[in-house]
Amino acid sequence: MGFKINHVSIVYRTGTPGQSMGALTDITTIARWEVKRTLTQMSRDTLPFAIVLFILLVLVTGFAAQSGMHLQDGMYVVGVDDPALAALLASDNRFSVYQVDSATLENNRQEFDLIVINGQVFAGTTDRGKSALKTVERDYAKYTNRVYNRQDDLYAAYPLWIDVENVRSELNFLATQGGQYISARPDSVAPVPEGEIRNVPVPSPTLAISKEELRIELTKSETANSQISRYTEMLSSDTAMGRFKTPSQLSPPLPFDSIILIFVFIFPLYFTSQFFMMSIMNERIERKGEVLLSTPVKASSIIIGKALPYLLGMLAISAALTVYLKASLLIMLPLVPVIFFFLANALLIGMVSRSFKELSFISIFFSTVATSYLFFPSIFANVHVISLISPLTLIILTLQGTAYTLTDYLFSTSLFWLTSAVLLYVAVRNFNEERLFSEKGLLVRVREFVATSLSRKHPFVSLFLLNGFAIPFVFMVQLMCLVLFFNLPMPYSLVLLIIFAAGIEELTKSIGIYTLYAQDPSFLSWKNLIFACAATAVGFLAGEKLLLLITLSQITESVFGSILFLSLGVLWLPLLLHFAGTFVVACSLKFGGRKWFVPGLFAATVIHCLYNLYFIMGWLT
Amino acid sequence: MKARHLSLIMRKEFRGLFNERTILLAVLLQLFIAMFSSFLMVGLTSMYDPSSLSKYSRFRYSVGYCGNDSGLRDYLDKSPDFKVYGMELSPAVAALKERKLAAVIYVPDTAPDADDPVKITLYSLQNDLQSAIVNVKLKDIFLKYEKDLRGVRVARLNEQPIPLQIPAARGGGDFYEFVYGLLIPLLLFMPAIIASALVIDLITEEYQHETLETLISTPVTFAEVVWGKVLACELLIPLQAGAWLLLLMINGIAIDNVPLILVQVTLTSFLPILLGALTALHYRERTSAQFIFSTALVVVILFVLALPANPLNILTRLAVGTAGIEQWIVLAGVIAIGAVLSVATRKYAEKIGREHHTG
Repeated sequence: MGFKINHVSIVYRTGTPGQSMGALTDITTIARWEVKRTLTQMSRDTLPFAIVLFILLVLVTGFAAQSGMHLQDGMYVVGVDDPALAALLASDNRFSVYQVDSATLENNRQEFDLIVINGQVFAGTTDRGKSALKTVERDYAKYTNRVYNRQDDLYAAYPLWIDVENVRSELNFLATQGGQYISARPDSVAPVPEGEIRNVPVPSPTLAISKEELRIELTKSETANSQISRYTEMLSSDTAMGRFKTPSQLSPPLPFDSIILIFVFIFPLYFTSQFFMMSIMNERIERKGEVLLSTPVKASSIIIGKALPYLLGMLAISAALTVYLKASLLIMLPLVPVIFFFLANALLIGMVSRSFKELSFISIFFSTVATSYLFFPSIFANVHVISLISPLTLIILTLQGTAYTLTDYLFSTSLFWLTSAVLLYVAVRNFNEERLFSEKGLLVRVREFVATSLSRKHPFVSLFLLNGFAIPFVFMVQLMCLVLFFNLPMPYSLVLLIIFAAGIEELTKSIGIYTLYAQDPSFLSWKNLIFACAATAVGFLAGEKLLLLITLSQITESVFGSILFLSLGVLWLPLLLHFAGTFVVACSLKFGGRKWFVPGLFAATVIHCLYNLYFIMGWLT
Repeated sequence: MKARHLSLIMRKEFRGLFNERTILLAVLLQLFIAMFSSFLMVGLTSMYDPSSLSKYSRFRYSVGYCGNDSGLRDYLDKSPDFKVYGMELSPAVAALKERKLAAVIYVPDTAPDADDPVKITLYSLQNDLQSAIVNVKLKDIFLKYEKDLRGVRVARLNEQPIPLQIPAARGGGDFYEFVYGLLIPLLLFMPAIIASALVIDLITEEYQHETLETLISTPVTFAEVVWGKVLACELLIPLQAGAWLLLLMINGIAIDNVPLILVQVTLTSFLPILLGALTALHYRERTSAQFIFSTALVVVILFVLALPANPLNILTRLAVGTAGIEQWIVLAGVIAIGAVLSVATRKYAEKIGREHHTG
């Protein structure tokens, strides 16, 4: 096909001394080009419109803050006989309050979720009634707190204070996950510690904070009555008083403010990666990027050059937000791998999707999955170590002023670093005309992307590497399953985890062989088949061991971990297992063709499950 | 505007969606979110109100009690949840570290009627699911003791709250508000966001792939093309919203007024779709259109949520069964705005169509 090179508007290598300098010039040129083009391509009134919308956003936020969110108005219908109590309840929008005399209330109990007669609350037995009761309880507690906070003698209103002293256990806390109780069953005599008894100083009987300071803090938590805090306060109360709490404040703190702050950090990243995705997609529409590809600039330079402005933009936004929030710049440390992860995924999504709608759906899908992976674990930041699988937990910890270790950092970010690197490599390998301008379906394209990353000359080395590098993805998906199943009752979570872990591993291992087969069915001669399975098994095992060594020792010690990463001890057994699984899939491909791929996969998963079950059961009993 | 042309365009778009299997992705997404929200529910309940898990409630926890005797000790002794051991502080904390105790409490010798508050020190295990459970159970006991102490000091209070006797909660209803007042309205509104992003894609695609001229050279007019796309997206709304409702009900969440909810959702979702179409017609380029539209959508949603009796609130009320006459007023308002936007979209599309034919 004849394309014209003379349209190229970039200056290519003007007298640069070396190869690396040349690549550097290319990158900066392309980066500058990208910025310029994005700015000109946005049609004339996008920027003014965006500014208007931003001003509107500020105004609306102010309005919303004033008027409150009205999502749950009128959820409950309540009847009250006393005007003062009616006014008290009516201050909460969730109640539709009817003030009627007690006789009417009694006769029409069914009409109401909850009635108050002579200062006594009667709630309906429906879920709505129970929920209304809880809401009244919380509202009333808040009201009494308001009254108590005004007392001259604060210690008459709040006579009891709890100082929570956190003790780090010297035993493995993951024991609870195994379904056992941490503390031994109660005995008739007091337990005697086996280890050394260190002297614990007797706590001072007085509070370290003055009465008026406490009053200020108490009043502060009283006014923090937003829509969001409705959810938080059913879980915890604000504990700005440090370690001193009244009994009603004694619950594990939900780091809600921090989670919202994190959203502020992540949201711009979503937006920016959308722009990047679109820029890649635009190159492909009507083969616009052909010109760029026909220059002697390397694909890696093009990609880095195009990504650079977005990367810098994301870093700048995050840094600006950090400075604005007066938070520690350490927040950036866990954010950087997340930024790379977003960019790498945006790049691939832009390269893979055939149309705008596909782009939209894939990107929405990706953002949802990524959000779940990032956010949900971090909700449990103060409760459980599982939360560390998300780098955002580190941000929460930084915001809270809790220190984390280098191991924690490696544990929660290594998967992001590794997967980003692998995705970027795949993108660079596939950044060529044939792939970019193909009109094939999504799955075929993904297969082609994998195929390009496999070397024709050294298929077995490629299989080894492919499976080794697939490990971070496998771990990511498996950890996601772990989070998902973590809260199901014990036997179900184990069984589901066993099945999913096995299925995911078998699927991953089969990808390489399937790709080779799809390219050339005659590849699977007996000799090649054996070698391919061996290379796959060894690569998978090697990757698994390496990554485990670096990071995952924390999770692997639990029972859940033992399912995911069972094969720590002996090496030849898991090798045999991986080989057998791959062999089953390869054979079903060889004899049955593609139709038999899924059944073969199923069979391999069953074998894998049985193996795991045998070992877990042996382990548990 | 001919119905045949409209359905032609609609069928074309649906075929496109099915060919690309994007529909499959949408379904997957829906299932995934459903799975995760149920995870979130179970997770929040078990992490923050662990006593709701019956497995934990049968168990008696060993607690070390140090320092002076008090009314608290009596409550702990009487509680079926705890086994209390009077101990010295240092060995008790050491036993706690070895997990032989679930918590250690130290009580100083402050008299109940002293001027100072009673400051209790609670030693508990860090980052531990079980200590969260223990703390929740201890909280109830501390609350009882606080009430007693407050009773002793009542004469010193200068104002009493209006008395209200609240029966003890019988469990359940914890996440009722979360499910009905947040999850359901947001989930039901999600199809609208997806559909309006989709309509932008469908319209800008014709411009950026330069397929518009071919389409207009057929007897189909430009306005018909636009409306075909709008209607195709609108048709997805009741399907997706219905699927959500079905999923929720399979999960054991009872929902009232399902048909009325579907009517509300379908009509309300028409507004963002039309807004999306207008934005796409104006920009004719995806990046700008999506950017402006999503920012505008945030502004609009925030504004709408700040209004009393907004459509999302109506969805909540319908789902719990407390919606009254106001739902019809809101619906009428939605229809009125929808009519205005429809006229605007139609006029705009016709104007662009004329430009294409003359230019």
